[in-house]
Amino acid sequence: MFLLSINSNAQDVKTHWTAEQLMSPDTLAKRIQNHQTEHLTIVSVGYDDIIAGGVYVGAGEEEASINALRQLLQKTPKDQEVVIYCGCCPFAMCPNIRAPFQLLQEMGFKNAKLLNLKQNIKADWLDHDYPIKDE
Amino acid sequence: MKNLSIILLLMFGCFIKANTQSSTLKVGDLAPQMDVFDIQNQPFSLAQLKGKVVLIDFWASWCTACMKEQPLLKKLYHELDEEVRNGRFEIIGFSLDKKKENWQRAVDRLEIPWPQVSDLQFWKSPIAKAYGIQMLAFNVVIDENGKILGINQHGEDLEQLIKDHLN
Repeated sequence: MFLLSINSNAQDVKTHWTAEQLMSPDTLAKRIQNHQTEHLTIVSVGYDDIIAGGVYVGAGEEEASINALRQLLQKTPKDQEVVIYCGCCPFAMCPNIRAPFQLLQEMGFKNAKLLNLKQNIKADWLDHDYPIKDE
Repeated sequence: MKNLSIILLLMFGCFIKANTQSSTLKVGDLAPQMDVFDIQNQPFSLAQLKGKVVLIDFWASWCTACMKEQPLLKKLYHELDEEVRNGRFEIIGFSLDKKKENWQRAVDRLEIPWPQVSDLQFWKSPIAKAYGIQMLAFNVVIDENGKILGINQHGEDLEQLIKDHLN
């Protein structure tokens, strides 16, 4: 419950997301495995580009990454599903997810999602052998 | 104030969880081998430190808890300066950073004096996997023969563990 409304000290940006805006790793993994990502844009706003089929814009704590995300989605239809992830650490301590998620709201994306990596990308994605990019 | 309380509660909760997280390792096991490069791009092997008590501090520039712990480790390092100079104790910082510049910047900013190593693979690091790390901050203390003395000890517990063994 606390995770749904946090005033981040790190970025001083109040950001809200609802339970409906959280996508489970299992859901995303199944969609990638079943090739059901045609209307889904996966964006890493963290420190690495790990998830198969994703696009990397850089760490969300950096202004250049926010600009890259804006540029990436400029011509994307506003009803497109966009899921962002970082996975360095739990949401409460992550410096990268709030500003990008806020940008998605400001740009009017109605289906903006945050990948629900409760612990980190290792525990919630890599350890489950979910699809990753080839090296 | 309410928001601050929530953040502190969450951070405290995360720290408790980090302290109790499971690991594939247990006290008495041999520490997994570590052949990587240091921050000066020189090869580093954990085997080089045989004969010393070693604190392996797994951290990253993006890990808030890790960054907050560095000054405490520096204090401990200075307290054990004689043991460091006598070749009885060392700290190794293993970074889970992906970008070397971020890692280097954090080391410079915090003026961390002990050796720094990494494979720059973020959470995909095979070393992180070998040590069973589920969350940062994380550390392992090993004895002179490479056997694990303690896993994920912090604060006074960590200090006590190291000093007791050295004494």
